[in-house]
Amino acid sequence: MCSYSVVGKGISRVDVMEKATGAAQYTFDIRLPGMLYGKVLRSPYAHARIVHIDTSRAEHLKGVKALICGRDIPPRGLFHLGDQTLLATDKVRFVGEPVAAVAATDRDTADEALDLIEVDYEELPPLFDPEEAMAEGALLIHEKLGEYHRLMPWLHPIPGTNICHLTKLRRGDVEAGFREAYRVYENRFTTSMVQHCSLEPHVAVAAVGATGDITLYASTQSPFLVRERLSHVFQIPISKMRVIVPYVGGGFGAKSAVTTVEPIAVGLALKAQAPVKLQLDRSEEFTSTVVRHPTVINLKTGVSRDGKLLASKAKVIWDTGAYADDGPFVARWGGLTASGPYQIENVWNDSCCVYTNKAVAGAFRGFGCSQITWAHESQMDIIARDLGIDPLEIRLKNAVEEGATAAWGEKLHSVGLKASLRAAAEAIGWGKKLPPGTGMGIACMHKFTVALMSSAMVKVNDDGRVEVFKGSIEMGQGNNTIVTQIASEVIGVPVEQISVPEIDTRFSPYNGGTFGSRDTFMVGNAVRLAAEDARRQLLKAAAEMLKVPFEELRCEGGRVFSSENPAEGVYLAEIAYYSNASPAGPIIGKSGYSLKGIPFRGIPLDPETGQSERPAACWTYAAQAAEVTVDKDTGTVRILKLVAAHDVGRAINPTNCEQQIEGALVMGIGTTLYEELGLDAGRIVNPSFADYKVPRASDVPELVPIIIEAPHRDGPFGAKGVGEPGLAPTAAAIGNAICATTSVRLKDLPITPEKIFSEMKEREA
Amino acid sequence: MKAKHIELVVNEKAYDMTVAVNRTLLEVLREDLNLTGTKFSCEDGECGACTVLLDGKVVRSCLTLAVDVRGRKVTTIDGLSQNGELHPLQAAFIEHGAIQCGFCTPGMILSAKALLDRHPHPTEEEVRTAIDGNICRCTGYTRIVKAILVASQKIPMVS
Repeated sequence: MCSYSVVGKGISRVDVMEKATGAAQYTFDIRLPGMLYGKVLRSPYAHARIVHIDTSRAEHLKGVKALICGRDIPPRGLFHLGDQTLLATDKVRFVGEPVAAVAATDRDTADEALDLIEVDYEELPPLFDPEEAMAEGALLIHEKLGEYHRLMPWLHPIPGTNICHLTKLRRGDVEAGFREAYRVYENRFTTSMVQHCSLEPHVAVAAVGATGDITLYASTQSPFLVRERLSHVFQIPISKMRVIVPYVGGGFGAKSAVTTVEPIAVGLALKAQAPVKLQLDRSEEFTSTVVRHPTVINLKTGVSRDGKLLASKAKVIWDTGAYADDGPFVARWGGLTASGPYQIENVWNDSCCVYTNKAVAGAFRGFGCSQITWAHESQMDIIARDLGIDPLEIRLKNAVEEGATAAWGEKLHSVGLKASLRAAAEAIGWGKKLPPGTGMGIACMHKFTVALMSSAMVKVNDDGRVEVFKGSIEMGQGNNTIVTQIASEVIGVPVEQISVPEIDTRFSPYNGGTFGSRDTFMVGNAVRLAAEDARRQLLKAAAEMLKVPFEELRCEGGRVFSSENPAEGVYLAEIAYYSNASPAGPIIGKSGYSLKGIPFRGIPLDPETGQSERPAACWTYAAQAAEVTVDKDTGTVRILKLVAAHDVGRAINPTNCEQQIEGALVMGIGTTLYEELGLDAGRIVNPSFADYKVPRASDVPELVPIIIEAPHRDGPFGAKGVGEPGLAPTAAAIGNAICATTSVRLKDLPITPEKIFSEMKEREA
Repeated sequence: MKAKHIELVVNEKAYDMTVAVNRTLLEVLREDLNLTGTKFSCEDGECGACTVLLDGKVVRSCLTLAVDVRGRKVTTIDGLSQNGELHPLQAAFIEHGAIQCGFCTPGMILSAKALLDRHPHPTEEEVRTAIDGNICRCTGYTRIVKAILVASQKIPMVS
């Protein structure tokens, strides 16, 4: 193994000084001269026709500078499936849907104006249950489903139904597999509706320039997507739509698509011809931004007597709420992966994305992986217990490994699954004798990394400082630190000499978006190549300056020198200065990156069988184990220890990997044990941190993150991402541990004390 | 809206200002004094992102009216480092990887400061309890707790 000077070191993050002193700027901190404040009127009904909107009283309120409603906005669709406009036009389809928006001189006036808008609704019967929504003859939430514009050719809505996408996977002969099986297990699992709860709410500040150009500050994970979609909606050229992203105070997927916040801010700024800030309050965060898909997952698994998986059939229903948003993507990946990270000859999956009159579900850290892992890892435990096989052994027996063929037909590479399972088991003390009332559980997972494309520029300034321009967002995951380490490694300058400017689409090179665990892999590669280009330019210029052949030069420690005579050299500052006068020009390395020979969205899935030789950039693997006690009198779970072994390809920054894993584990504890948005007639009943419990410091047990390295041939230095997988196996690891000590098998998340208690009582009776 | 004249000291600097009676300390700090280190997140007193110290005690600036703090001393994250020197808690948060997105960090550090100022050598459990009112969605808290404990170890023991 070759050694690196900076890659592989757990250096301190590059943005922490600003963040520790309160100096770091977030979109929430942006204020522009003459700025107005926006507010949104939202639907009180889950499903209703808008008969009439009277805005006259609101418009005449002193201090109101702009008001927009459905009739004023461009009727163009926001996202992949053109089913949603930035404000409702004819119908509202969930409680919280934007109906009108105002901009006023202050927030109180804007609030007052909302009260003066009169909307006549004609209520329609709502649909809340996704299975009812799928039933034949169900009323339609989108009557014109078949007419919507589709941005992706693979989107597969079924007109005349509430199914906005279906992904099918077919491999082998699943019925033959079941016939051959020693036993067949059928179980139904569900997951709850949960919220991301980023500490920085969604916020955007839009300003219109003298020539109609728009500058938008936004707390988003996807500035280039926002730019592209807004340019489409408002018919403004991309070059006149500038998106600036300061630090993002947490995203977790909630900010990965274009939301209604950015376009409403722009719509108001255009109408007012003044800057407008639209910030959501916390209850709007809970009721009107995307949630994690509630799911119903039916699994049927055929197994041989010795625990070999012979056939797996999954029917997954993704309750996507009122609009598709990222739902079809979630369903697509969930449809590929629902049988788990196992070698199974016969697989049949139907993954259905279904409309209901509820909050819109979209991307959430894990992107569907958390829900399907909950199901297949609970199922594995049920099988292991029934057959009397050790839960670790049955997983090792079936786990995919290097060169294995996945259910979607890909020959897998960089598979650290078995190593993760063994490491997690060892760290938790798998098999050791436990005190009464204590149980252990284990679970594992696979997760895709989205490819798309990324580009980067690396500039050497006249003072020798290096700036890394890229399009990925720093939202707490540490990407600025990772690209700094990569550039430092390639150019041979100390990390202290590198800075990473904020994202501004006017200057920053394109990136597909900060989601899908893709930035380390994709942006990391672009930065690596751009840094190599800068390094070549530095050597070339130095060769001229020193009159030494290019091949004899080395670039190290912020200096280029002759390998024959190291004393003979020039500093980067001198080269940069020299280059300003040279025909070659300033030292600016650049590169784009996408997977070689592969379409940037991956090889398309066969629409009938879901088969694809390379749908993703790479796959990551993990195994987690939990040790818990359960209070027999109350059903209260106490987690004693959580161990998480994650295959990261290669850790560019091991500390950063551990930080990501720890944070995800705690989010996993919340979504396993207590997080759930409660609904009453489509209305979210607990839209506050007082009523929606997220983990606090006292809820956190001992966490043991473990890094497994199965380098990927295409990853930068072999690296893969680790942002999302950390919470995927947590629920099943905890659920399996609870079952180990109580014999209670709960199949519905969250696993609350009430559920455990009543199951325990039932068993006693 | 009625306005009142108030004097207050923020980060050891005296201010003399007239503020509307319905404005919160959080709004005044961020909008009038441009001290944006104090964060706005839930406006409900539940998340702790807006935590500041009022005469050394933890308060939620989103639930505190500016006119109610007249004549009192406010400490925000913006004033914690002195003459370019980081407060030991800031240094410990940096050194021990306790910061990710950074949005909870100002409130978290001030809650920790209030703890260590009154109880310089807390147990781990006491640290966790002291920051239970501050939500962090990124870190999982482990490194925050470690950083606070390390900072506390640097405070000399008084017998």
